[in-house]
Amino acid sequence: MSISLGKGANISLDKEEPGLTRILIGLGWDTRSTDGEDFDLDASVFLLGESGKVRGDHDFIFYNQLRSSDGSVEHTGDNRTGEGDGDDEAIKVNLSQVPAEITKLSVVATIHDAAARKQNFGMVQNAFIRVVNDATSREISRYDLAEDCSTETAMIFGEIYRHGGEWKFRAVGQGYQGGLAALARNFGVNVG
Amino acid sequence: MAVSLSKGANVSLSKEAPGLQSVRVGLGWDQRVTDGSAFDLDASVFLLAENGKVRSDADFVYFNNLKAADGAVEHHGDNLTGQGEGDDEVVSVHLSRIPADVTKISFAVTIYEPDVRNQNFGMVSNAFIRVVNADGGAELARYDLSEDASTETAMVFGELYRHGGEWKFRAVGQGFNGGLGPLARSYGVNV
Repeated sequence: MSISLGKGANISLDKEEPGLTRILIGLGWDTRSTDGEDFDLDASVFLLGESGKVRGDHDFIFYNQLRSSDGSVEHTGDNRTGEGDGDDEAIKVNLSQVPAEITKLSVVATIHDAAARKQNFGMVQNAFIRVVNDATSREISRYDLAEDCSTETAMIFGEIYRHGGEWKFRAVGQGYQGGLAALARNFGVNVG
Repeated sequence: MAVSLSKGANVSLSKEAPGLQSVRVGLGWDQRVTDGSAFDLDASVFLLAENGKVRSDADFVYFNNLKAADGAVEHHGDNLTGQGEGDDEVVSVHLSRIPADVTKISFAVTIYEPDVRNQNFGMVSNAFIRVVNADGGAELARYDLSEDASTETAMVFGELYRHGGEWKFRAVGQGFNGGLGPLARSYGVNV
């Protein structure tokens, strides 16, 4: 049973899911049945330090960089159409392996080439992003992208962060103008 | 008063008009005058269940099947009295009488015999879909389709759908190649 978190709300992952070490971030959507270019949604994670920025470009886990240097975060690969049931893209995070200097992981969902393709989340059927306890498959939080983020092309889904010695999850659910490149730059990544 | 939607956006009709019972969905468009060949656009309505498909062929409302769900959805055909509002076709939807297992109602406009007549939506401009409160006539939501479709012969203008106990409207504006037959089939109608 998923905890339905309102925007801005946070929960203690350690308290809600005792013993939690591995989480799965799942992104899913339906393939396009109408005319036009495929909807290519992407899930990405930014490993952030105290400053709220990445230590280097290697802290940006996305379709072109599938593993963090320490192996704590692993993206299972790019899905360019939404083909397949359930999660179409998944990012696995092993919280126990995240380096101590990383204090926050920011999880984002974006639409590839949204501006050129004139697409937004509202056009994509059944688009969602969720966070799951990878050991028990229990869903911790889910966000309905098509419904609640309809005119956006990129959004910050949530943050997994350290607080008082535990890991917590905060539901952010905020749209972001400019797409993945702008988001990455915002977090300190050098985007070519 | 009416919420003007952009493509992909949605709005809660229940919030716009608390106690909303019934709406009239109006669809309109201008036809560019071309070489004089007859140009016949038709509105179709699909009552869809949770799986995105019709429950039966009776859930497909069009010029040969003007009523569905015991009259909860009624297509008024081309017979408008011409009040000057600009709607080319109007569909009445009694929201409170829509069967519980119908979770979405999709509104599409298609070109009749597009291949034979060599026509497509590129010839249509100023298309819109609007939702009007049947009680009092206030326009609740409107979507002006701004992009010119080109090769499509069918277009889903918008959809009414249930969400969290309310009725909402989403601006779709997505084309479908192939016309009414393939569009209906994609919704599970036996064509």
